[in-house]
Amino acid sequence: MTRDRLIELINQIFVDQFELEPEELTPEKRIFEDFALDSLDIVDLITGLQRKFGISLRDNKDVQQIRTLQDIYDLVEKLARDNPDLIAKLPE
Amino acid sequence: MPEWQGLVPVGSDHISAAPVAVSPEISKSIKRHYRRSMGNAALFATLAAQQAVAESGLDAEILGNGRAGCIISSTIGSSSEVYESTKAVIEQRFNDLSACQFFRIVSHSSAFNVANFFGINGVQLSPCSACASSLQSIGLAYEQILAGRQELFLAGGSDEVTPIVLGSFRHLYALADSDELPPEELSRPFDARRCGLVCGEGAGILVVEEYEHARRRQAPVLAEIIGYATNCTGSQISQSDSASIEACMRLALADAQIAPDDVDYVSAHATSTVAGDREEAAAIRAVFGDRVPVSSVKGQLGHTLGASGGIETAAVLAMMRHGVILPNANLAVVAEDCAGLDLPTAPRQQPVRTVVKNCIAFGGVNATLIMRSAEAGA
Repeated sequence: MTRDRLIELINQIFVDQFELEPEELTPEKRIFEDFALDSLDIVDLITGLQRKFGISLRDNKDVQQIRTLQDIYDLVEKLARDNPDLIAKLPE
Repeated sequence: MPEWQGLVPVGSDHISAAPVAVSPEISKSIKRHYRRSMGNAALFATLAAQQAVAESGLDAEILGNGRAGCIISSTIGSSSEVYESTKAVIEQRFNDLSACQFFRIVSHSSAFNVANFFGINGVQLSPCSACASSLQSIGLAYEQILAGRQELFLAGGSDEVTPIVLGSFRHLYALADSDELPPEELSRPFDARRCGLVCGEGAGILVVEEYEHARRRQAPVLAEIIGYATNCTGSQISQSDSASIEACMRLALADAQIAPDDVDYVSAHATSTVAGDREEAAAIRAVFGDRVPVSSVKGQLGHTLGASGGIETAAVLAMMRHGVILPNANLAVVAEDCAGLDLPTAPRQQPVRTVVKNCIAFGGVNATLIMRSAEAGA
């Protein structure tokens, strides 16, 4: 999976779940301040990422450090590297 | 349409009770931040409350000054969300549930969602009592204001139709089911051929406000609440009885300090069930005889459950404004056990100044609200 495809899938979560416009989704955006998400939304974000990528995130301590969209891209990319089998199952 | 629509019980082709599909354009008029914690009942309540706030000329400063409250209730917080959650749990799909799922289900969901939407930070209550829910909400708002605890409330109720609700009524033989009548004629309060209720859904929200406070801000005053009472049978869970309904109306008349002859119209609960209409008719006959016109708008609207008190009170206010009593739709032949009442079958032009509004609910709960038109009270 390419990084672009991974970003596309993550961005789709923000469009579908949080009703954000695709053009708003630039890597430097801060998810709390710029997207006005709150702690309830973060629970849904974790659920959305888990469902989309088939990975377990609820107890991942790195999740608590997420501040920007870039942070999410980096975290999922790292998990993808660590779990190539899971990521390989994703639709291209 | 939700998948459970296919589970709506249909004993014959003549039962008409499908849930409303809320247009995305309408639901998305509520920002996602607020909408995420709303089931349909809370969404209906918020949309209705928007209309009430606009018509009353309320602003954020008044609603957020701690002297405004919110009392809104329903039979179940959101029965459609209860269904979705239960299904997910049974199928062990916990991770499919939204973080907001529980906020859609809890019994006071409509109350806190409306309070949150408008920034209301005073008293928030939700006296859930099935089909008496919203009239109890309005009555409780009246009592809170009389006690000086708040200056105004958004008060009323909301409800939605799902298999949990319809299946339960059907199981009790309380849902209308007839091969002989078209769907639009199934809800027929006080009629000899009545055979049960037809479910509706929606919300009815009113602004209940301390009189001088409303006058000072030059709010349009539609009517004055002059009396309220609620009681229960203490002996029934599936229906009320004529003795307790009569007692409830007499308590409300005493609270209003008026006599039965002072009343121009009784807005009955009458849901078109055999037992319910019989008991309420007997109670109204005992208090008012045949001197006061009586009708139930459930022939037109169906039974909107926990929302019915709010919606039907709004209908009463419209009747006051237009000087007309809405008839008992589909009343062709008055049932013997409902005889001895004045039951209009056509719109009746007359002053509608003082009105008794009843709601009756599972649990043997009764509630009676008495209103006087703004014109008569001025």
